[in-house]
Order: sequence, then C-alpha cells, then structure tokens
Amino acid sequence: MKLNGAQIVIEQLCAHGVTTVFGYPGGAVLPLYDELSKNTHRITHIITAHEQGAAHAADGYARTSGKTGVVFATSGPGATNLVTGIANAYLDSVPMVAITGNVAVPLLGKDSFQEVDILGITQPIIKHNFVARDVGELEYILNEAFYIANSGRRGPVLVDIPKSVQTDECEYGDLPSKKMPEHLPVPSLEQAVNAIKGCKKPYIYAGGGVLASDAQAELMELSKRLCAPVGLSMMGMTAIPHDYELNLGMCGMHGKYAATAAQSECDLMIALGVRFSDRATGNIELYRQGCSIIHIDIDLAEIGKNVSSDININGDVKDVLRKLLTLLEPIKNEKWLTRIEELKQVDKAPQSGDFSPQSIIETVSCFCDDDTVIATDVGQHQMWVMQYYPFKKPRVLLTSGGLGAMGYGLGAAIGGCLAKDRRRTVLFTSDGSLGMNLNEIATAVSLELPLVIIILNNGVLGMVRQWQGMFFGARYSQTTLNRKTNFAALADAFGAKGYWVNSISQLRSILENLPTSCPAVIDCKIDMDEKVLPMIPPGGSAKNIILRR
Amino acid sequence: MEKFTVELIVSNHYGVLNRITGLYARRGYNIDSLYVNETENPEFSRMLIVSKGDEYIQTQIVRQLSKLYDVKQVTLMATVKR
Ligand SMILES: Cc1ncc(C[n+]2csc(CCOP(=O)(O)OP(=O)(O)O)c2C)c(N)n1
Ligand SMILES: [Mg+2]
Repeated sequence: MKLNGAQIVIEQLCAHGVTTVFGYPGGAVLPLYDELSKNTHRITHIITAHEQGAAHAADGYARTSGKTGVVFATSGPGATNLVTGIANAYLDSVPMVAITGNVAVPLLGKDSFQEVDILGITQPIIKHNFVARDVGELEYILNEAFYIANSGRRGPVLVDIPKSVQTDECEYGDLPSKKMPEHLPVPSLEQAVNAIKGCKKPYIYAGGGVLASDAQAELMELSKRLCAPVGLSMMGMTAIPHDYELNLGMCGMHGKYAATAAQSECDLMIALGVRFSDRATGNIELYRQGCSIIHIDIDLAEIGKNVSSDININGDVKDVLRKLLTLLEPIKNEKWLTRIEELKQVDKAPQSGDFSPQSIIETVSCFCDDDTVIATDVGQHQMWVMQYYPFKKPRVLLTSGGLGAMGYGLGAAIGGCLAKDRRRTVLFTSDGSLGMNLNEIATAVSLELPLVIIILNNGVLGMVRQWQGMFFGARYSQTTLNRKTNFAALADAFGAKGYWVNSISQLRSILENLPTSCPAVIDCKIDMDEKVLPMIPPGGSAKNIILRR
Repeated sequence: MEKFTVELIVSNHYGVLNRITGLYARRGYNIDSLYVNETENPEFSRMLIVSKGDEYIQTQIVRQLSKLYDVKQVTLMATVKR
C-alpha cells in the first residue's frame, strides 16, 4: 500500500491505539492536519490555545489513562512552545510522543523561516528524538517512538517530520508494531530478605515507580506484613489510600511530620520506585544516618545516584515485590507501631482560620468521589493539596513533580478530564500559576468540560514569598502581585462560569449547583500570610522541622 | 582523580556524538580525549572517551550512557591511578 508521510503518521497512531491527540496547526504541519481532517472518525484532535497547554494536556491524558500522550506542533515557535511540556513529562516519567513539523528537507539547515533545531533543543530533556529525513524511515521511526516512550522507565519521545516528508510517498505496512520488552529478570532477593528479617523499625518510601508498575496492592501487602509505615514521594501520592493507618503521607520539605520523623528513626528503609529527589531528602548525610537502605528501581542509573544504598535491586517494582512477598513471613512489632501512632498525632494539630486552605480543600473533596481527577499548579496550594486532599485511588493526581512548572495544571486537567470521559475534574491553582496559561480556559469552554477551577487566591507568589519571609529577612521582592484581575469576570468573558467566594458556606452552595457542561472558576480569597507547614529548611533534616509559625 | 576510559559501540548516525558529549557536559565532566571510528559494520561506530572521575562518576557515566538509544554497548576499561 502506497501512502504519503502524513497518512503514515495517522496509520501509525491508530496502530498504537491512539484515539486522542492534542496540538496546534501551522505551516509545517499542513499536510498532517489535512490528513487529520479525513480521519476524524478515528482520531479526535483537541486544539488548545497554546502548544504548552497541548503538551500538558497530553501529559495529563497519559497520567490518567496510562496510555501514551500524543501532541502535534508546527515547526519553529510551535516546537519551542512544547519544550516545558516535554521537560515536565521527562522529569515525571510520563509516556509521550511529540510530533513536530519542520521545513522541507532541501531547506533544513539553512535557517529557513520557522526552522529551529528542535532535536538539539530537546536532547537533554527527552528519552530520544528522531528526524525522519526520508519517508521510507517514518514507519520504523514511529514504531520506535512508541516503544521507547513506553519501555523501561517511561518518558517523552519527539519525532520531527519535515514538510516534504509528509507529502512524499512510499510503501507502508511492512513492519509489525514492536513488542514491549520482557521485564527485567528479578535478581536474587536473599540479602533483602535477611535485612528485613533482622530489622526492628522498617519504613517504606514509595514513589512514582509503584504507580508506573501498578504495584499498589503489593505495596499495601508489604506494609501490612512488616508493620512498616509508608512515606510517599509527591509522585507516589496516590499509591496508597490516605486513610490506611500506616500511610504517613508525603515526605520531605513540605511533607507530613510523621513521614519525615519516622524515616529519621527507622533502621531499614525500603525505597520503591523513587529517585531520592533533594526536595524529598533534605540533607543527604543526615537522611542516610542510622538506617540501611534497600533501593528497588527499574532505572539502574537511579540506584546510587542521589543516595547510596546498601542493597540494590534493579527491576520492575511490582515483579520484585511479588517475589519478595513469597519470601517474607508476617512480622509484628508493637513498639514501632506505638511510636508511629505517637508521631502521627503531631500532624493532627488544629487548623488555622475558617476559610483556610485546608478547609477549602476539604470542602471541595466532599463534592468529589474517589475517581475524581485532581490537578494542581505549583506553589503553596500544591503542597496544601498534598497535605489535605484525601486521595483514595491511584492515578487521580496530576501534578508537576520534578519540573515544578507553574502553568501545568489547567492543560493537565483538560487532558485528565478527556481521559476520564469528561467526568468532573478539579484543578487547584493560585493567582500566579493560573496567570501563566489561563488561555486554556477557552479550550475547556469550547470542549464543554465540567472543570472546577479552585483558585486559592492569596494575591501573591505564595511559595516564593514564604521563602523570602523565612530566609530573606521578609524582603518580599517581586512576589506581592496585588493584581486587579477579576478572575470571576474573566471566566465569564471566556464563556465559563465565574464565582467569587470568601466563606465555606458560599463555596458549598456553589459546589452544590455546579454547571455540568462548562468550566466553573471559583476565586477563593485567602490570607497572603498562610504558610505551608511543616517545613524542613533547605539542606536540613528531621531535626530542623518547622512545625508552626 | 582517576583517569578512566569508556568504550562505546554506537549507531553511526549524525547527531550521535552530540548526544554523548552532551551527557558529559550536562553533568560537568570534562572529556580529556575522544576517539571515534567506523566499525567493520558501517552501521556502528566505536568510541573511546577518556575522562577523570571517581568510582561514583564512572558508574554514573556508564549507567547514563547505557540509557541512550543510540548507544549499543558500554564498557568501562581498566582505570589508571593518577
Ligand atoms: C514556570 C515557573 N516559574 C517560576 C517558578 C518559581 N515559583 C515556584 S512557586 C512560585 C509561586 C507560585 O505562585 P502561585 O501560583 O500564586 O501559588 P501560591 O504559592 O500562591 O499558592 C514560583 C514563582 C515556577 N515554579 N515555575
Ligand atoms: Mg498565589
């Protein structure tokens, strides 16, 4: 069968089970978009307001559905606008295939109109990228792209397709889709079993790798069997239900007290699918003191990179846990459990005011169910969601972990909502982050998505301001925005429904009567001096936790 | 610091050298010498890269290089103490 490059792209997307792509057209992808228009029965294309929004939407779609997120952009500015979204997917190990157009092959390398070296630009923030200079390579390259994005530790791949390649023809259909590789064999677990049998105070540190390998049940079983409390990285937040008695919540700089304190007291840490980010560990030497570490991760390069471990197990978390569980008897340890209970009490401190971030988040959660997708932006509000939102099921949290990219949330919420058949989806954001990509409200309105956008509006770049308050002598340099933006009116102007509230009862009455086929933007005015606490100062340890102001 | 040599078999393709040296550069590891030639099979090139670093750096380099799509084989050659 003879097809042109654009047709090959469509066929390959279908062959890899893609039904939704996000993107934005332009000169260098005209043939591709023309082909898309003939295939609307097979592929839904979501046009966003900005390519960054499209990339974040593809990311949110992938995290929610477990499928590959696909994004299209034109050459030059279209391609450069994807960069933040690609970096975000890379740092959080999200499978994504980005397809960019480029100038025709004879014009490549001549600084032609809208030509950029997107391969060079994205090289450090991507698993791999390809340019298809010949239409004959395209089928193979796209097969490889989906394979790379989904094998081992997942991540983004970019395929750059010059315009002339999109119209050139060749034979198509020779290659079968590439099969996913066999999982890594599980290595010997003898050392790990001995360490676990000999320990008195085990602690599990669980991260995104648990979710990526779908090992939630195994994690729970391990925790119960060993009486081991679980601390979570931000990427692992939904790996275990919030109300499980040994779930201590998020660890690290803005995590729960108990999660950090228990880590500092444990004698054995079992680290599952984590990379020991500096935000999670604080001072490495102090973090490492007093415990042995078993590190289980699919990415060998993560083992020993940030924290040296005593027992290294390179493998898929689920495979390893399954085998480990066959080798372990239940262990009872009342003393450790009592201590954990004591530590947990510290986190139960009374909350601040009536219309506090905590009470807003808890109120919103009462109107959500276990499957509601929760997206966040980046800042204080993000940390409050980690601390107070009662997550019960895996994969319902969309948040920018490794990159910490303000402006991630709205695009991600759109992608997540579409992946969940347009179910109600909530975005917690704040005035700074929403300002970055609020143009995507237009996208959500066009799609009639029932998003609920909660602005924890403190009028400031709260997180940065908090640091200035604590570590820079309260010199609030460029963080007090005091903008005059009327978010509710702005929402209305976009065609969404805007609200302004300053009490829980008002918030409740709005949540009781939400529009069903249009986004609602609820501007909640909160105090600019609210802090995210507890906090471990940068480079600090469990001993320096600041609990209260 | 120890001098160490990494031998790589990589695809013989434009841009591959860039990906490899980029990995060294990003982590701030200087390349002391670099040698590239096509293998008997023109699909692949052999590279020898000499740089300095302790055991941690050597392990990281080898593991990070192994993750690159174009890198087919990585061998850490014997090190010379300085
Ligand atoms: C794109 C981007 N620019 C800058 C930052 C640095 N930064 C981290 S948190 C933050 C403040 C966020 O303010 P806002 O969205 O209002 O959230 P708040 O902290 O007030 O809840 C800033 C500027 C960032 N993370 N991302
Ligand atoms: Mg703010």
